[in-house]
Amino acid sequence: MNKYNEVSALLERLCSAKGVSGAENRAAEVAAELLEKYMPVKIDPLGSVTGTMGEGNIHILLDAHLDQIGLVVTAVDEDGFLKVAKCGGADIRVLAAAEVTVHGKEDIFGVITSTPPHLSKPEDSSKAKDFDEIAVDIGMKREDALKIVSPGDRITFNGSFSRLLGNRAASPSIDDRAGVAAILRCLEFLKNKKLNCKLSVLFSVQEETGGSGAQTGAFSACADEAIAVDVSFAAAPGISSEKYASLGGGTMIGYAPSLDYEMSRCLSEIAEKENIPNQPEVMGGKTGTNCDEIQVSGKGVKTALLSIPLRNMHTAVEVCDLEDIENTARLMAEYILERSAANA
Amino acid sequence: MLETIKELCAISGISGRENSVRDYIIKKIEGYAEYSIDPLGNLIVFKKGKNPAKNKVMLDAHMDEVGMIITAITSDGFLRFAKVGGIDSRVMLGRTVKVGEKGVSGVIGIKPVHLVEKGQEADIPKPDELYIDIGAKSKEEAAEYVRLGDAAWFDSDFVEFGDGFIKAKALDDRAGCAILIELIRSELEYDTWFSFSVQEEIGTRGAMASAFTIAPDYAIVVETTTAADISGVKDEKRVCICGDGGAVSFMDRSTIYNRELFDKAFEVAKEQDILCQPKTLVAGGNDAGAIHKSRGGVKTLTVSVPCRYLHSPGCVIKYSDAAQSLKLIGAMAEEFAKW
Repeated sequence: MNKYNEVSALLERLCSAKGVSGAENRAAEVAAELLEKYMPVKIDPLGSVTGTMGEGNIHILLDAHLDQIGLVVTAVDEDGFLKVAKCGGADIRVLAAAEVTVHGKEDIFGVITSTPPHLSKPEDSSKAKDFDEIAVDIGMKREDALKIVSPGDRITFNGSFSRLLGNRAASPSIDDRAGVAAILRCLEFLKNKKLNCKLSVLFSVQEETGGSGAQTGAFSACADEAIAVDVSFAAAPGISSEKYASLGGGTMIGYAPSLDYEMSRCLSEIAEKENIPNQPEVMGGKTGTNCDEIQVSGKGVKTALLSIPLRNMHTAVEVCDLEDIENTARLMAEYILERSAANA
Repeated sequence: MLETIKELCAISGISGRENSVRDYIIKKIEGYAEYSIDPLGNLIVFKKGKNPAKNKVMLDAHMDEVGMIITAITSDGFLRFAKVGGIDSRVMLGRTVKVGEKGVSGVIGIKPVHLVEKGQEADIPKPDELYIDIGAKSKEEAAEYVRLGDAAWFDSDFVEFGDGFIKAKALDDRAGCAILIELIRSELEYDTWFSFSVQEEIGTRGAMASAFTIAPDYAIVVETTTAADISGVKDEKRVCICGDGGAVSFMDRSTIYNRELFDKAFEVAKEQDILCQPKTLVAGGNDAGAIHKSRGGVKTLTVSVPCRYLHSPGCVIKYSDAAQSLKLIGAMAEEFAKW
């Protein structure tokens, strides 16, 4: 029907597999199955999905993180409500009455408690409640809850993958399943191409809690160059279009002191040459992405960052434009082909 | 009744746009009673009982739900809206919604917490800063799908969970509508009048007209009300408790209820072994506010299904409370008819 159907289906499948930081197994299973079409796959000691293919004088690593933000159960209270803390950078402003899934011995439905306007003062509605004032309602008594739920269980925010107008989509966990999807689409573009380089893929765990997966995965890969694919901020009401990216405006090519300037330049030049929509994203120091860990792993790795514009980051309604994912994939593929040819 | 509640909650019907809800109710009661639609859109129903009633009894439930109405489209294709009914902005942020006659999918956006200034991470945007993103790239693209004045409503499914609980949008007051439908479809002892009312959420507009038209001697308002029986809330602050049956009001922000009727409800509940509880906080208001002041005054009772997270996309009730409320309301209607 439309040329974005494949990436849409891929992203939907990736987003439907849950995986909060440190408990990425289900997301990892799906990602591993999808990656296996292109290369042999391993799961590393921390749980990251890794794969390597080809041989050559240069070794390029592609990274995207598997984990999504969520909550973690800290206790079951006397009435059977679950007390929770954040796991990754959950936004407290979107918690009231949010629907969640508690990943206990089985997946169970829950609603985060909130107070209706009838019982609160008008001024209360200008401040979000913090974790000490909320709990997850699973509609069970304490003794029944304890049979299914234990402290440490992860909780994800419910929300289905929905298509908006044009080629836009909304879902939880587009951060960073969009990056995983971009790498898989890149491999699809490269499928029948002869490569003179070694290519590794890292779908890393625990980015949202500090980047342990990227740090260890990049060490094991020991690549010469790396490209990390993550999401970054797109303009929306209250978010300046001068400072932030345009949704659907193309892949964001990162420029930062910690990123390899030649790689960034090379990506921009290829994008211009191949007419791939792109926009620069300039940062003044580190990037706040896996690049920060990958760059300093082992003896050091030249690192570049490609970002997919995203709205409402860290909510259950993250919005992206599928065209941006596809363009990120194309640019990565063209970059790999060029580096492969140059090092033949 | 569970299936009826499920189907009713799936229908969209913000205040002033109750048509689809009304159509559904008519389909359910066709053949069981006589009905008419008044100028405001209230569905007024007369159900013949086995006996004529000594007193004219009216049962009321409102058809409308809280939601949004589109007020503007921005130059870059986002939709601005006004809240319809009392909704706390905190339950709107990061939610999926449906918009307009085409039911276009949208989301209520929020600035990522990463971009919020330090110390302001808990600050909720002002109501006029809220917007819906339907994915449109321009005002023109959005205008192909949405017109100003279109309704928007929460996109929330029906879920059964835990120990007999239900989650859905619009349980306030489709649970009440379902109870009335159930009564209309059953055999009643006495002639009874019903009002499926419009526009409760913006100030009980519909019930003002329907109560005038029906001119009852007694009224029972069938509602949902705020259950605060949640973590960290104790004793009377819980207002009412899921699982303890229908909540009977002695006073709220719009009505001081007739004490005799309030007492009678507990007496009848005790006799007939029906679970019910007092609503332990003077808060909220409902169609009783309009009905008890109608014409020369109407003795009014309110029985509500306790509902957690009222006026949010994720309202929660315990089904057994709806079942117990149905019994109590049926019994009270009979009492009042012959009182």
